[in-house]
Amino acid sequence: MLDPEEGDEENTVEAPRRRFILDDTGFDEVPKRYRRFYRKWEGPGDRLAPNEVICPVCKVVIRSTRELRPGDRVYCMPCMSRLVVVRGETGVLEAHVSY
Amino acid sequence: MPTGPTAPPGDIHDLDPQAFLEEVHSFDFWFEAVQGYLSGLTHGHRPNTTEAALSEAERERLISVLCNYCLGETAALEGASGLIVIAPNRLAKIFLSTQVADEGRHLDVFLHRLRDLGVGDPEAEVQRRGSRSLFLFKRRLLELVAGKDWEAAIFAQNVVLEALEFAVFHGHAQDADPVTKEVLQGVIKDERRHIGFGENELGRRLADAPHIRARIGQVKKELDHLILDTLEETVGHIGLPRSDVERLGRAYLESVERLGFV
Repeated sequence: MLDPEEGDEENTVEAPRRRFILDDTGFDEVPKRYRRFYRKWEGPGDRLAPNEVICPVCKVVIRSTRELRPGDRVYCMPCMSRLVVVRGETGVLEAHVSY
Repeated sequence: MPTGPTAPPGDIHDLDPQAFLEEVHSFDFWFEAVQGYLSGLTHGHRPNTTEAALSEAERERLISVLCNYCLGETAALEGASGLIVIAPNRLAKIFLSTQVADEGRHLDVFLHRLRDLGVGDPEAEVQRRGSRSLFLFKRRLLELVAGKDWEAAIFAQNVVLEALEFAVFHGHAQDADPVTKEVLQGVIKDERRHIGFGENELGRRLADAPHIRARIGQVKKELDHLILDTLEETVGHIGLPRSDVERLGRAYLESVERLGFV
């Protein structure tokens, strides 16, 4: 049997977030200095990295220099939305608009 | 990397929320964004893009589609310019001034496309071929603007009309001739800002004043059938399968549903 305190500690200590270097992917809908934070969603064959979520408003992929986790705030500059990262029913990270 | 007040921090998502809003509503942000994708284009497309050979039936259908696009863009141009007067704050006024420029460009490139297709008097053709439902929608939108009903007018224009245009232009661009496709792709990039502005502005207003929800719900009931009739008519002209009416209709309804309207 696990010591309850030890178990709690295991559940609350999170692994450090992975960091990502963002390259310009050719996304041209925001000023140059912001371009690396966004990319186009390429359709059914595309996959989101741990530092990416899709904007539900305009369907652009939002990218961060950090691994994203539920509760994080992200901005979609192409459609000017403020969003909060949540874990969806399927376990995938999603972004919900925060008005 | 630039320096100064607009230089991004290590991660753009660390920006203070108010600083984010100031930045994305600014004229400079809009100007630098559109420079990125409009530089080098003539009438919305690369000058050397080859015109595809269209059959007479395809040309006729495309002319009807473009007439409806011109009508929608005229509604948005007149609506956005009127909304500047009643916009409740500086950020909304500045953003709308950029939207007016976008809508004027859209109307211009679609009229040019009609001329490319051999239409001698595009504006008369728009009057002749434009969807009756879209004419009624335009009239109602401009009544809301004239009545200084900010929330209802923003809902009609930047949520309902822009969401419809965003969905239809996306659907059409997948299968359009090369010149029309490039024109549509440029317009879609502008539309992202317009739908985002509408949804976020109205979302904030609804959060601060939930009593306006019933009034907006009534406007939605009035406009829903006009916009869905227009969608069905336009999808038919584009030549997309009938199942796309439902798919594009769902895309339009998503933004309305996020605001809590079903």
